[in-house]
Amino acid sequence: MNTLITVLFLIFAAIILASAIMTVTVKNIVHAALWLISSFFGVGALYLLMEAEFLGVAQVLIYVGAVSILILFAIMLTRDLEGSQNRQLTPRWWIALIVPAALFSLLIVPTVMTHAWQLPPPPPAGQPPAISGAQQIGAAFMREYLLPFEVAAILLTVAMIGAIVVAFEERERRRRVLTLAEQVRLRQRQQQRQQPAPRPEPAATAVQPSEATGSET
Amino acid sequence: MTEIIIPPIDWRVAAQLSIIFGWASVLLVIALFVPRSRTRIIGYLAIVGVIVAAVAGIPLWGVNAETFSGMLRLDAYSLTLNWLFLASTAITIALSLDYLPRQGIERSEYYVLVLFATGGMMLLAQGADLIILFLGLELLSIVLYVLTGFAYPRIASEEAGMKYLLIGAFAGGFVVFGIALLYGATGSMNLRAIGETLARQALTPEERTYLLAGAALVVVGFGYKVAMAPFHMWAPDVYEGAPTPVTGLLSVGSKAAGFASLLRFLVEALAGEWQIWAPVLAALAIATLAVGNIGALTQQNVKRMLAYSSIGHAGYILFGVIAAGATDGVAGQRGVESVLLYLIAYTFTNLGAFGVLIALEQRGEAAWDMGDLAGLWNRRPWLAIAMAVCMLSLAGIPPTGGFWGKLYVFTAAWLAGMGWITVIGVIIAAVAAFYYLRIVAQMFMAEPAREAPLPMDRALRVGLTLATLGVLILGFIPTPAIDLVQRVVLGVRG
Repeated sequence: MNTLITVLFLIFAAIILASAIMTVTVKNIVHAALWLISSFFGVGALYLLMEAEFLGVAQVLIYVGAVSILILFAIMLTRDLEGSQNRQLTPRWWIALIVPAALFSLLIVPTVMTHAWQLPPPPPAGQPPAISGAQQIGAAFMREYLLPFEVAAILLTVAMIGAIVVAFEERERRRRVLTLAEQVRLRQRQQQRQQPAPRPEPAATAVQPSEATGSET
Repeated sequence: MTEIIIPPIDWRVAAQLSIIFGWASVLLVIALFVPRSRTRIIGYLAIVGVIVAAVAGIPLWGVNAETFSGMLRLDAYSLTLNWLFLASTAITIALSLDYLPRQGIERSEYYVLVLFATGGMMLLAQGADLIILFLGLELLSIVLYVLTGFAYPRIASEEAGMKYLLIGAFAGGFVVFGIALLYGATGSMNLRAIGETLARQALTPEERTYLLAGAALVVVGFGYKVAMAPFHMWAPDVYEGAPTPVTGLLSVGSKAAGFASLLRFLVEALAGEWQIWAPVLAALAIATLAVGNIGALTQQNVKRMLAYSSIGHAGYILFGVIAAGATDGVAGQRGVESVLLYLIAYTFTNLGAFGVLIALEQRGEAAWDMGDLAGLWNRRPWLAIAMAVCMLSLAGIPPTGGFWGKLYVFTAAWLAGMGWITVIGVIIAAVAAFYYLRIVAQMFMAEPAREAPLPMDRALRVGLTLATLGVLILGFIPTPAIDLVQRVVLGVRG
């Protein structure tokens, strides 16, 4: 049994690694996105291997199902992105290689050398691990991690509002910005209509139309 | 099917946060029924919500409690900061009420997003757990990315938003990785629990390495947020491109929030490692001072100059942060006080300075050049006085709020045994006074370069007056503010 798990793990790890490398090296960006999906699948399989079924299913649903489709949409809706002449590496790629490698080795070297991380002890045999199934995750979110759960909800709401604000800006208003002279005339017209106003805006009366036309360039 | 019992929540701790988040969501719905020509109403309603949240904080003074499994804490420290965030939000919204329609970018979502940003800042001040600090940081950042790109008729604004997004995402990655390492080293994500673990048991050499590496990564992440050198390079471009009221909020609110959580993190979790992080931060503080002030010296663009000056001020605040972790109780207490006092003075001052820029700015043209300020005294005496007060305060000249802030950070650093950085700081402050006074000289002595009309709106006037009066009151009668910050105790000394 254990050998089977090890073999499966190695297969999945190889798939994830190969796909990840292909993602960053292929020239065609649509192909890169497809390789990314394959890498996501591998991670989902690893979750299943670790008996975290809920995480595995969520990984497939969210990352493979939603995120990667969004990425593909974004690629296909963006012009001038599919050019294969785009450069893959920046001149200082080696710095970008060293820093992540150093950070990664910081975590992996002690783990390989069986360093005992200060982690909560594993549950006694026969019991499920602390957070694996949907039930435990749900209970943890409702009890211990209630605040992060709520804040994450707010975060997602805000991100959605922000995306809408950015994406649905009014195009016609974007092109049409009133010039100073137009604005002054508009304001004068409004004031005439509103007469007798209790107190006219001092700044607006100070501006003569001729001046405003002069400053408009 | 087991019944899920939600543990009891101490609502006093979450009161202000709930008001702000709740009101922001309600406003989002109200905005649907407000006609486009009256979007201003949403701005006024947002200010009302901010005032309610600030008043709700008054009976909470003296509460020292935590809730949500110790993840959210309310103490004098976070309450003071919450008030500061609320004040800066109210002034920012007042400054925006006139600015947005003038730039043709008025949309009700703006005010809602500013409220959400305030909530994020409060989370950073109140968070006692690394998860909450990270979520608060992300919440604040996401809102600020959108707000930075809000002036969509200007390409520069979009560019600034994009730059900020990329740099911010990069910084967020550092924080997460740092948190993972800290958790691996100490087995906890609660700040106080980490501090207790460090005090109770000696860590093995490897664990200590992970702890320090994790702490360094978290500091790098927050260093981006507060724009300290060498993580400052995004600041000038983003500050220049963002709509001016947002620049104000970026330079005060987001910086104050970053320092709030950085200070809590260093003092509550890592006080035991002060010997290690104090010299590192001291070097960074000096670098920050140098980069910010030398950069500001050469600027002709006032908005950019204020961006560099705000980098420089991060350096002074770092002095206080370093002192706050000192093992000597007096110096530590003075450090916490100095950070808060500096932040209060700096918030009002910088908002006032950006308010003057907003008043000068016309539709479609930027009035950020040094020449645009020339002869302001003849054109608009009150505007010139407000700008002069703010410049003197930024330079740290008495009798303004900035003077007391500088006095406090320098004495705190001195008490903590950091004599050499104090000396360097004082020298740099003297050099920095040059470029602030250059603006004052431009306004009062130079001939007006042009006779541009300066329409001023009531809300803008109120916001500007509040900020300037805040600086002056803090300068002439500093005792209430000093009293307030002296009651704040942070960390294990409490």
